[in-house]
Amino acid sequence: MGIGIDILMFATACLFLLAGYPVAFTLAGVGLLFAFIGVVFGFFDFSFVSLLPQRIFGTMTNTVLIAVPLFVFMGVMLERSKLAEELLTSMGKLFGTIRGGLGLSVTLVGALLAASTGIVGATVVTMGLLSLPTMLKRGYDVKLATGSIAAAGTLGQIIPPSIVLVLLGDVISNAYQSAQLAQGNFAPDAVSVGDLFAGALLPGLMLVGLYMTYQVYKAVSQPDSSPVIPPAELGETKDLFREIGAALLPPLTLIVAVLGSILSGIATPTEAAAIGALGALLLAGHRIGRSEKKSGLAITLAALSLGGMLLLSINVDLRLTRDEISPFEQNAIYLAFMLGAIATLGVLVSIARTVRSGVLQEVMKSTTQISSMVFVILIGAALFSLVFRGLGGDDSVSEVLNQMPGGVFGAMLVVMAAMFLLGFFLDFIEITFVVVPIVAPVLLMMGVDPIWLGVMMAINLQTSFLTPPFGFALFYLRGVAPDTVRTSEIYRGAIPFVIIQIFALAIIAGFPEIATWLPSVIY
Amino acid sequence: MTTPLITNLAAGILFLCLALPVAYLLMARTSDNAHATLAPLLRRVSSFIDGVNGLVGTAASWLTLLMVLVQAIVVIQRYVFGVNYIWMQESITYMHGILFMVAAGYTLLNNGHVRVDIFYREAPPKRKALTDLIGTYLFLIPVLCVIWVAAYPYVELSWIMKEGSTETSGIQAVYLLKAVILAFVVLLMLQAYSLAIRSALTLGSRDNDPAPGAATAPKV
Repeated sequence: MGIGIDILMFATACLFLLAGYPVAFTLAGVGLLFAFIGVVFGFFDFSFVSLLPQRIFGTMTNTVLIAVPLFVFMGVMLERSKLAEELLTSMGKLFGTIRGGLGLSVTLVGALLAASTGIVGATVVTMGLLSLPTMLKRGYDVKLATGSIAAAGTLGQIIPPSIVLVLLGDVISNAYQSAQLAQGNFAPDAVSVGDLFAGALLPGLMLVGLYMTYQVYKAVSQPDSSPVIPPAELGETKDLFREIGAALLPPLTLIVAVLGSILSGIATPTEAAAIGALGALLLAGHRIGRSEKKSGLAITLAALSLGGMLLLSINVDLRLTRDEISPFEQNAIYLAFMLGAIATLGVLVSIARTVRSGVLQEVMKSTTQISSMVFVILIGAALFSLVFRGLGGDDSVSEVLNQMPGGVFGAMLVVMAAMFLLGFFLDFIEITFVVVPIVAPVLLMMGVDPIWLGVMMAINLQTSFLTPPFGFALFYLRGVAPDTVRTSEIYRGAIPFVIIQIFALAIIAGFPEIATWLPSVIY
Repeated sequence: MTTPLITNLAAGILFLCLALPVAYLLMARTSDNAHATLAPLLRRVSSFIDGVNGLVGTAASWLTLLMVLVQAIVVIQRYVFGVNYIWMQESITYMHGILFMVAAGYTLLNNGHVRVDIFYREAPPKRKALTDLIGTYLFLIPVLCVIWVAAYPYVELSWIMKEGSTETSGIQAVYLLKAVILAFVVLLMLQAYSLAIRSALTLGSRDNDPAPGAATAPKV
């Protein structure tokens, strides 16, 4: 019994979601509705629902997911500290005199922001407010300009560290474990969020390269579409390099520290995220101090002390819990304590400044709401999946996938196409929490590489931000673009980039090493 | 355990309270009384709830800063000084769990729970209110009731054994953390009620003034 009711359940959920009631509650509610139907007709055991508290508590205590609020905190803080604005203006000046340079600088800044903040909405809004007017004023092709900005904004989803990869990493590692257990492997291999970060790095950079290739192609084949800024308008180039250095150095340091420590396997994503968030707090404090004409000394010293502590710990054994500590090491430990005190002072100054200007409260408020939104969807999706499983839904899905002509390739193609289509009107969070847990174990049992699967899915989900008419990046851009830009132009501008995304998926499908090589070298 | 009589009585009173916005809506067409007496009462209840969740959310939001600081301290302790306190690591897990559970109502208050807003975004205020009213009664409130019923024995068991950490030097308060599930249900239920009230007031109002509340949602 129950054949077909699982499909009905999924269709009902999609229908109700379109009504616009919050996703988390709609998913849970539809789950409950079908549980009742199942109980009434006697093909569902309601005791399935008693598993729910354990699921909720599991989400609360899942240590991998702690990285989410920390990365969100870091991203929102960097956004509020006007990092993006500085980067854009200085990069625009650097590349503006080259044909197509404004578009290239948008893509480059998008990639840099993606590696530091990873928040799509913020990136698109900033670039839409700053770069779009400049590009339009120079007579850029409207479609090329809007498409470039929207696409560059979505890079935050694929270039690590990104929230999508953290969530996908958690879901896929669970799926991988259960797939191996089901195959009788009781000492299963693990796949971590760090693996997925490493796997997504090269594909992310490849996308950057593809975007830029397209922009150069447009600039060469249709020179009118990408005009240049006359050099006379730019002023002294000597100051320019200093300006770019000042704008680029702090975020670059942060990116290298955060990504480097994760990719080299030194730190877990959660640990790196905390240091990144602390660095963002210091940057924001410094930035606010500068605009209030206050000394940045305390904060600069704090940043240097943190670096100093790290250097010291690499060169001298500073571990406290040992039997024998030489006098030299003892002094080094005292020095490290002092550096720690200086760092603490700088952090306190930053907190005071960000509180006084109201930035910290804003950041905390957004972080709280975004975290709650994400994890409540996880809870809603858990109820939905429990019932879906109880109705035998995962059996039907695995049956369908296993019977696909073309074996693994056919199954993968169907899943990718389904995610792509769902991406037209669902958010990446729903797809990650509802669809991926159902399809991933089946694909993994067929022998698909988990990292490759994660990266393919991440690019697919990233594309959903770009697909008209409901891509979020397009929504955000519509919100800030001047009225002279028609919505249809924004939609048409996105299409070449969606095609680039599909092309990239095809390349990575053909050459999985692009995703799997780096993790295999690092770990 | 409470006696069945008291449980039934409590459920009955809860049901009557929950039905009030609907009752108002049914009477709004014909009765001036509904607008004169019931509407102000409901409005006051709604703003009281909004106040409560506003306070809870603002307080909880400081946990984000605290999480950043404590996790950073843990990292420095571990990588520089080679010391590791389990209770400190666990405290971050606690803060994280409390943060998003307790702030769920606050997030609903600020319309921060993501919607598929293809149609919702452009809809007139009354249609938005209708969606919210139906969604709240059809989905949110039943779901919360089921979570309560399922979670109550789960939490109670943990309280009876005063469940602690699996680590001896960890925080011995897992039973308190589990109780946060019940706090989640209560706070979110209150906010759901407030949303139902505001939606009913919007739908029942005779002029076309939209009630405050429906704004666009923030997204990642």
